Amino acid sequence: MVAPFKKWPSLLFVFFISLSFAQERYTINGTVTEKASNETLIGVSIVVPALQTGTTTNEYGFYSLTLPQGEYDVIVSYLGFGDIKSSINLTNDQKLDFQMVEEAETLEEVVVTEDVERLDIRKPQMSVNALSTATIKKIPVVLGEADVVKSILLLPGVTNAGEGASGFNVRGGAVDQNLILLDEATIFNSSHLFGFFSVFNPDAIKDIKLYKGGIPSRYGGRVSSVLEIFQKEGNSRELKVNGGIGAVASRLLVEGPIKKDRAAFLIGGRASYAHLFLKLTDNDNLAYFYDLNTKMNYRLNDNNNLFVSGYFGRDVFSISESFVNTYGNSLGNFRWNHIFNKKLFSNLSLIYSDYYYGLELDFVGFKWNSGIQNFNVKYDLKHYLNDKLQVNYGINDIYYVFNPGRIEPNSTESGIVEEQLTKKYANEFAAYIDVEHGISNNISLNYGLRFSNFIRFGQDEINVYLNDDPVLFDPFTLVYREAPILGTTKSDRGEVLKTFNNLEPRVALSYTLNGTSSIKASYTRLAQYLHLLSNTSSPTPLDVWTPSGPWIKPQLLDQYALGFFKSIKDGDYSLETEVFYKDVQNRIDYIDGANLIANENIEGVILNGQARAYGLELLLRKNAGDFQGWLAYTLSRSEQRTPGETTEFQGRTIQESGINNGEWYATPYDKTHDLSVFGSYQLNDKWSFNSNFIYQTGQPTNYPIGQFEFEGLTVPYYGPRNTERLPAYHRLDVSATLTPKKNIGRKWKSEWVFSIYNLYDRRNAASINFRRNQDTGRNEAVRTSIFGIVPAVTYNFKF
Amino acid sequence: MRSFLLTLLFLVCSLGCEDVIDVETPSTEPRLVINGLIRVDRDQEFLPVKIRVTETSNFFDQIPVTQLDNALIMYGTPLPDAPELFDSIAFSNLAESEPGSGIYEPDPTFDTEQRIRNSFVDSTTVFILIVENKGRRYLARTPFSPTVPIESLQQDELEVFNETLTGVKVKITDTPDIKNHYVMDFGNAEFETLDDQFFDGQEFEFSYFYDDDNTPEKGQETEISILGADEQLYNYMNLLLEQTEETGGVFETPATTVRGNILDATGIDNNNLFDNSGRPNEYALGYFAVVQEYRKKIIFE
Repeated sequence: MVAPFKKWPSLLFVFFISLSFAQERYTINGTVTEKASNETLIGVSIVVPALQTGTTTNEYGFYSLTLPQGEYDVIVSYLGFGDIKSSINLTNDQKLDFQMVEEAETLEEVVVTEDVERLDIRKPQMSVNALSTATIKKIPVVLGEADVVKSILLLPGVTNAGEGASGFNVRGGAVDQNLILLDEATIFNSSHLFGFFSVFNPDAIKDIKLYKGGIPSRYGGRVSSVLEIFQKEGNSRELKVNGGIGAVASRLLVEGPIKKDRAAFLIGGRASYAHLFLKLTDNDNLAYFYDLNTKMNYRLNDNNNLFVSGYFGRDVFSISESFVNTYGNSLGNFRWNHIFNKKLFSNLSLIYSDYYYGLELDFVGFKWNSGIQNFNVKYDLKHYLNDKLQVNYGINDIYYVFNPGRIEPNSTESGIVEEQLTKKYANEFAAYIDVEHGISNNISLNYGLRFSNFIRFGQDEINVYLNDDPVLFDPFTLVYREAPILGTTKSDRGEVLKTFNNLEPRVALSYTLNGTSSIKASYTRLAQYLHLLSNTSSPTPLDVWTPSGPWIKPQLLDQYALGFFKSIKDGDYSLETEVFYKDVQNRIDYIDGANLIANENIEGVILNGQARAYGLELLLRKNAGDFQGWLAYTLSRSEQRTPGETTEFQGRTIQESGINNGEWYATPYDKTHDLSVFGSYQLNDKWSFNSNFIYQTGQPTNYPIGQFEFEGLTVPYYGPRNTERLPAYHRLDVSATLTPKKNIGRKWKSEWVFSIYNLYDRRNAASINFRRNQDTGRNEAVRTSIFGIVPAVTYNFKF
Repeated sequence: MRSFLLTLLFLVCSLGCEDVIDVETPSTEPRLVINGLIRVDRDQEFLPVKIRVTETSNFFDQIPVTQLDNALIMYGTPLPDAPELFDSIAFSNLAESEPGSGIYEPDPTFDTEQRIRNSFVDSTTVFILIVENKGRRYLARTPFSPTVPIESLQQDELEVFNETLTGVKVKITDTPDIKNHYVMDFGNAEFETLDDQFFDGQEFEFSYFYDDDNTPEKGQETEISILGADEQLYNYMNLLLEQTEETGGVFETPATTVRGNILDATGIDNNNLFDNSGRPNEYALGYFAVVQEYRKKIIFE
């Protein structure tokens, strides 16, 4: 099965032959691992100072570097690890694996991968932020539960719709526009407990990378960002256990060899006792979450590696058994790394993932189960042609089954009639090529093209509407409503209802001004075929995904970014500034009062609009020394609009009024100013201190421009959308980590983390509601704030 | 159904704390508001027509009543193939019941009976309200919406976070094979909307739980009613409830002007069509509807 693949990559790139070489060239390649655990390391630099060239290891720790014949020193470096200097006499191709040793034995050592966060000024890749688990664990968070999503909120260009809001917003994009990959599998809901915690167990994670722009063509399907999360592979040298006991949840992770140096496993679990935190003291109420991460890897030989990984997470709420709500992701992933030859690396992934949502309402006699399943095949190749040219290419195919819900009676007395809402089926195919090209010593280019194809297949029932228009605009009262359904048609599962094809070009360029600074520019086009139906400030677990189809068009993004990057004092400090502009076509919006839950004719409440965002980001980092940290500032604007269409009504031309009279309005996550400062100080071997400060312009909101009464209800009367702002949001968090002295020289190592969230107890408004006070009979404005000052203690251990 | 869910989500998430703060809200030109939900008991001889007119005011001010220069209800049955035409049409002239009250009822000073007889009304009847206020003419059109009776009421309770919510269990039987909408009025400005998507033609029982502040007093008789609604009124009530319910921050739906079925017909040339597009800022707030109502009483313990 290998043979056919060997041929076509070389055929494909005949046009690169023009790059001919005066000298004989040879290739060094191999894998870089951490010596203690044999865990591969991502982003290690392999530099040849004499030639001023080098490369970094890929997501699987693999590198390949082609150099002219000669004698060289090769320096392998990675922050937190000792450098390796190796002299080579390059007269033939060589395989060189490196094993790196950590500089100091600390509790965090297993996860020290800070080098990924270092700025690479030469690479055209821009708008990307990386965080190591070590950093994520340092950031003080509410209730001390280290959290991937809460950590990235401290980066420039990343925000969310307030405390307790689920997901995150990148450069003014919506939550459903983020592609979240856990070991290459798509995660549909990244939140536990609605939005208070994210689903990623920090112990099981190797590192994370967030692409906000300049997204390489190997990624697609979401228009705003890519959050790529790699789970650890497992220690193939010795059995290790680590864990933590926190205020909300406890964690335990076990990893070890199955066959020494060849095969390893990792199994990690986390469970909350949030019902205590919710003060649900009687036994009738439950609220908890748990997740399980597993991974196995098997090194068949030098050229073949197998990985199997899995994730399973659930949230459960139950109130007096009257309201039971369960939701979560599960995924399984099989991967095969194959090295064809010293220059050609490949990865095949077979992924199954599903998102489940279930709800039981006893007081209505109603049970609802919904979900989305997908089967994903990915084949990616990385071709290291020479030190100036790397070509990545591959294909990806995802088959989706959407179950909008099955409604069932929960008991024999219930009047609910069993009903399966029409399931939807779709396939998303993509092929891409991506070239990393060093044009000269100063100029590097990254260019690529992604072709995506989305097919919506037949389903049991498709609604038929007058003039094929599912949304009816009433020209009298100027209100949109669902158009009456004239009938339904049935189509076969193999039948194609609608096809979309898109070419998505990506270009990025870097121009190095001198050894320490560079200018980068990028253009990205992306297409998104799935939409999360959500009409609230932040998505709820109730929200379902729906595919593009006959009435819902795919979202199309164009993003332009320009940046200046400077590495100061040999990389100890770095400065990144970027400006961006993005425009999304076909961003969906909803008619007023839209019913999104279990709605069989969902197209009847959706209007196609557009979105745009622009801004300036600044990130100043200190990467080395006892004091490390960063300052991130974003000035931006995020808006959307949905103009009304012109339609015919009884022979007359009608101008629909659209949403918000067709005017631009600020999205709920539009924050003009967004400042985050994070600092971490290592006082001595025993104590370290961390702190963050956040200041943000208040969220857009509405104040009533008047009021009226209808049947005893006091109704606030609103004008144009989101013209007011909540008061500014700010808070200071601190934490201290105590590593007891007795750790030295013993196997059991532990640490205490003391943290205080919102130190000065700021009452940040999550919302301001306008209501009539039933006791006084007077109207009042009520501010809801979620977290005041929250202290927490976490105990971490490993052995 | 969705407000059930959102209310519960809010309960689950109400970890936060609330405090009353001072906010200066903007003011704007007052706008006419018509509260014209006419609840019809089919056993009575006449329809209890009562139209209340007010104006919008700043959120923290009193709501001022206003007066109409003219108020009239036209009713009849539209022709099946030309719904803008009526086979015959009757009129009910309205007058302010007490000067300065802003409440308009069929004018008793007329020579002829201006009240609308129940016997003239059936499920095909359509009502048109025409009023004039400050030189502008407003108009609303609504069908008569029948409903089904409440079969039983029973007190119910739900424990949430050591708090006991009082509720009521309601039983109705849906009319089969047609799309039905209902508006439930639980008193104390507590409403719930229902559609029969998942219980078409069934005997259906559900519980509704009061907002803590609005729980009816113990030992006192509370009247609960079910109102018929067409899709338009159902949508209106849904949106009204969505805009007034507190979901606390992240689950908030976008704020919007809740437009009802009352349009500004001043200067519209095509009197049969009332096409209003292109004039998105000229309208009155509120709703005019004629719906059947069944009531039932319960004493909470």
